[in-house]
Amino acid sequence: MHKRHTKTVTALAAVVAAGLALSGCTAGGDGNTTADGKTEVIFWQQKFEDYQQAWFKEQVDAYNASQDEVKVTYQVVPADTWDQKLKAAQAAGNAPDVATTSYGRIMPGVAIGQFAPLDELVDPDVLDDIQPNVREFVSTADGTFAYPFLVEPSTVLFYRTDLFAAAGLDPASPPTSWAELVDAARALTKDGVYGMNIAQTAADLGWSSWGLQYNAAGHLPVADDWSAADATDPAYIELAEFYRTLYGEKLMPQEAAYPYADCAPYGEGQVAMTACGSWAIGQLTNDYPDMIPNTAVAAFPSIDGDPTKPTSTLGGWTLTVDGKSKVQQEGADFIAWLLGGETEHLVDFFKTSGYSKYPARVSVSEALSADPEASANPFMQTVSEDIVPFSKAEPTYPWEIALSFATAIEKSMRGEDIQASLETANSEIDDIIEKQKLAGTAPEAG
Amino acid sequence: MSAIQANPQPAVFEEQAALIGADAERPKPRRSGRLNRSNLIAYVMLSPMVVLLGIFVWYPLANSVYLSLFEISFYEDPTFVGLQFYEYVLTAAKFWNSIWVGITLVLLVVPAQLIVAFLVASLLRVLSRHTSGFLKTTIYVPTVVSFVVASIIFVFIYRERGGLLNGVLGWFGIEPIAVLSNPDLALGGIAVPALWIGVGVTTLIMLAGMLDIPDSYYEAADLEGAGYFQKTWYITLPLLKNVWLFLLVTLVTATIQQFELPLVMTQGGPYESTTTPNLYIFNQFKDPTPYATSFSLTAALLLFVVLGTISALIFRFVKSDKAIDG
Repeated sequence: MHKRHTKTVTALAAVVAAGLALSGCTAGGDGNTTADGKTEVIFWQQKFEDYQQAWFKEQVDAYNASQDEVKVTYQVVPADTWDQKLKAAQAAGNAPDVATTSYGRIMPGVAIGQFAPLDELVDPDVLDDIQPNVREFVSTADGTFAYPFLVEPSTVLFYRTDLFAAAGLDPASPPTSWAELVDAARALTKDGVYGMNIAQTAADLGWSSWGLQYNAAGHLPVADDWSAADATDPAYIELAEFYRTLYGEKLMPQEAAYPYADCAPYGEGQVAMTACGSWAIGQLTNDYPDMIPNTAVAAFPSIDGDPTKPTSTLGGWTLTVDGKSKVQQEGADFIAWLLGGETEHLVDFFKTSGYSKYPARVSVSEALSADPEASANPFMQTVSEDIVPFSKAEPTYPWEIALSFATAIEKSMRGEDIQASLETANSEIDDIIEKQKLAGTAPEAG
Repeated sequence: MSAIQANPQPAVFEEQAALIGADAERPKPRRSGRLNRSNLIAYVMLSPMVVLLGIFVWYPLANSVYLSLFEISFYEDPTFVGLQFYEYVLTAAKFWNSIWVGITLVLLVVPAQLIVAFLVASLLRVLSRHTSGFLKTTIYVPTVVSFVVASIIFVFIYRERGGLLNGVLGWFGIEPIAVLSNPDLALGGIAVPALWIGVGVTTLIMLAGMLDIPDSYYEAADLEGAGYFQKTWYITLPLLKNVWLFLLVTLVTATIQQFELPLVMTQGGPYESTTTPNLYIFNQFKDPTPYATSFSLTAALLLFVVLGTISALIFRFVKSDKAIDG
């Protein structure tokens, strides 16, 4: 009998042990030391264009080879699984020590203590090399919470010069107002080619239309202090009508076969003009080189033709150190080496990008400007002179607000009542403000 | 001393005797050592499942209910907010919209699936063994295709340009339709692959139920001169009641929770016309704010209640019967 009890207890213990093992409750070390005694820094990079992964991997290998104290473990995470994977890791207490973070996510993260301040971890000279306007994106009165890697405008106009000429349009005079853009799209829509391509789903419109929201109304659909919605400004009716005309007259694809960030429809010749981020220059250069000789780049048209009104937000990426990381110093050292150190490898990166992205450091910008190839690049000139100076920073309010307004635009595009759609968005945004207690919480850049 | 020596009369016999009422005068059987031993063995055999259920179901569920009373942050101490998030979820129009989308998908998929499965199973029942085997394999094949793969296949079928559907419509001079970009058509576009994948296993379960009905019932009906529809109405359908019930509950709960198809095919759009409850909760969870974390957790718990209520209602209205075919 005693033996049988022992067996039962053993069986139960085995089951419990298996359960604990399955649930990840196994005993172990602190998880920050490799088998050969090096301190391990886990680095997650959101998946971008292929050349970026190659560059990051090369740099991580170089850093690991440059010293024998720290091993950076590099992991690429696809963009469409990033949010849930990161959140699940945070919930389990094993978030990456270093991660790529977009500018729009910095302030909400700072508000909940997600990032470690870099001021005491990184040499002040390295931080001071960040371009002043970009440093505002990542800083509060409490410190600097990310090291910027690059900036890239979210909305740029790409157009086919050969199709412009064939349609009787002047390739040297791209449209400058929304009305001109619509006219050009009408002239270019023929022979199975759509005149224009622009975001059409709420998920894409949510962020890609921020610049045009500023352009139309001079503000975003929420008060500056986040105290109330401001989505029913009559200027937004004109914005919604602009999108509706393009979609309703079938001047643009009727379904989003590719997300906005992917300029494949233009590269594949399905459309004569497209709105896309500046990163599309890199994609076209690398994936559709035959399209480059017939491609020109311009600032996206403005509501009334005024080229100084913003049409784009200045997005981009930074590296952050997790607020709960046990190896914050080692993580910050890696960031300082990668983004704040020597300029050569960063200059190489921006060259490889086809000058589709722009440095966030003064010294890298200067090094790039000194490069004759870079200064002669027509794309870089247009983007850096005609677009970047007039672009706005990405808003940092909760994504739900952006999505509500974008849903109103999408509804308008597909023929729903514009005024009613904007009013619905307005009340949804007010509801978000109330439930998430956002009034007065808009962060002030430091 | 062995259990058999202590109680020579087998307990099974006693139970059977008690069941047929043959020993009403006799005292009730004592709880014997053998019974205790049997119980112990039963408990031991059940214990792994109980432990696993405890670890993976009951503890997480209880902990989730507890955590839903807080606004959770992974970087700061949680803030106790009581039932605030329950109020937020229950007053969120988008939450109820997602439930409605789920119910609409159920209405599009489940009745069609049951009817198609019944018709195919009826056909399979009367076909020759060889033909039936071939057809069973054919109709089961989509079941082994993952939802993600099916989603991609159907996205290409629906493509406005170059899609199979619009190619066929073009033969009849019909203008291309962007099915998945049209808020009135997108959910129907998702219902088709849901039906396509699910009909195979539903048919086989239905067929198993049909084959369980004794032939003598049909033979007797034949002798009485009953036709096909009378036999179907008075014999097949009533005797499949438990199969209907099982299929109804499992299909309704699985369909209302459909996640992969709208995620891959439409991302829940156009403007939330295909955002099923699970996709809605998933999208909420992705937002990095503590509010979104607590909201998605509470919405998941309330979805659990909604699904439980729907299942209970089905059980209430379609009562199961014990087998009456003997």
